[in-house]
Amino acid sequence: MHDATTAAGPAAACYGPLSMEAPDAELIRTIAGAGPGGPDAEAELCRRFAPRVYLYGRRHLRDEDRARDLVQAVLLAVLQAARAGRVAEPEHVDRFILGTCRNMASRVRATEARSAGSEALDVIESSAPWATWNEARADVGALLRCLAALDERSRQVVTLTFQDEYPADEIASRLTMSPGNVRVTRHRAVAALRRCLDTAGGPRKETAQ
Amino acid sequence: MNICQGPLAWGTLVDYWAGDLPPAEADRVEEHLFGCAGCAEVAARVASVTETLRAVLPPAVSRARLDALRASGIRLRENVFSPGERRAVLFEHDADLLIHRLGGLDLTGADHVSLRIVVESTGEQLAELDAVPFERGEGAVLIACQRHFASLPADTRFELAIHASGIPSAVTRAEYTVIHQFPPA
Repeated sequence: MHDATTAAGPAAACYGPLSMEAPDAELIRTIAGAGPGGPDAEAELCRRFAPRVYLYGRRHLRDEDRARDLVQAVLLAVLQAARAGRVAEPEHVDRFILGTCRNMASRVRATEARSAGSEALDVIESSAPWATWNEARADVGALLRCLAALDERSRQVVTLTFQDEYPADEIASRLTMSPGNVRVTRHRAVAALRRCLDTAGGPRKETAQ
Repeated sequence: MNICQGPLAWGTLVDYWAGDLPPAEADRVEEHLFGCAGCAEVAARVASVTETLRAVLPPAVSRARLDALRASGIRLRENVFSPGERRAVLFEHDADLLIHRLGGLDLTGADHVSLRIVVESTGEQLAELDAVPFERGEGAVLIACQRHFASLPADTRFELAIHASGIPSAVTRAEYTVIHQFPPA
């Protein structure tokens, strides 16, 4: 797993040093074995996948609270499946978790996750503290300042995309640009906002893109 | 840990969060993100920008949008300001959104209205928008002040420029200063 304070961009993050070397499949087998290493393996599995499930929830449910509920519901189901030896292909547990996300996303409810009454919830809560996911929310004041510093065209593209929810083709039509140019402008604008937020004192310094 | 098969491009992640990828490609991105902690971390850095942008209302909103917000359960408090007025407003706990109604304007012949938001004490420009929604019948521009704006300086000056239809040089200006007060949580 990557140290959030030292990760350095996609390549380094993908190939960088790990704080725990065990492959995902080994964690699943350890959990299924019900041995003394089980609780640590469960905690590590949650630590690895909770942020990814949360991002999935933000992307598909468009709501912070519902995304957190999804994390609980999905990880609970995954831990229960792992304990029961029902993860058929431990080498592909990432696909198992994604499949569980897709199945649950449309019916996630706060009560569904919290009424389960399982000690697995304690594992999820203790190993994946919500506070570490603040990366998914930027400082609004800083973001507005950074937005004001963009050139007018970039600001229009960003605003039309993320506040008015127009697709690239529609934005291209409105601003007399090509769709490809809209996408390139958007990529650069989001990168500029990210750099600006980091320079303005964000939680971490910018990484390579 | 699993080995990354090839980092996703920044642009692909931006398009993913913009909801602007074909469904099959979005599925492939998700499959990669679930198998790669490093790329998921970069995706989170993209999302911190895009999802915060989505959560922020634009500074000026239409009356229709306010009506829709009110209908959805958002608690609105409206403060009325006249041109040149400088006044403090309190963001009470029982409000979700403060609306500054910048009124007293003749908008009957307006083509568009531009807005500049400035910190009064420092002159720092927070935003400059070429064309914002305006209420011709009310003679007003509606500013949406959100609770998370507490991180901005409290003294804010809103500068409006009203551009008349067909007469590019005909611009009328008005200023309003709002001192924002946020009680402790």
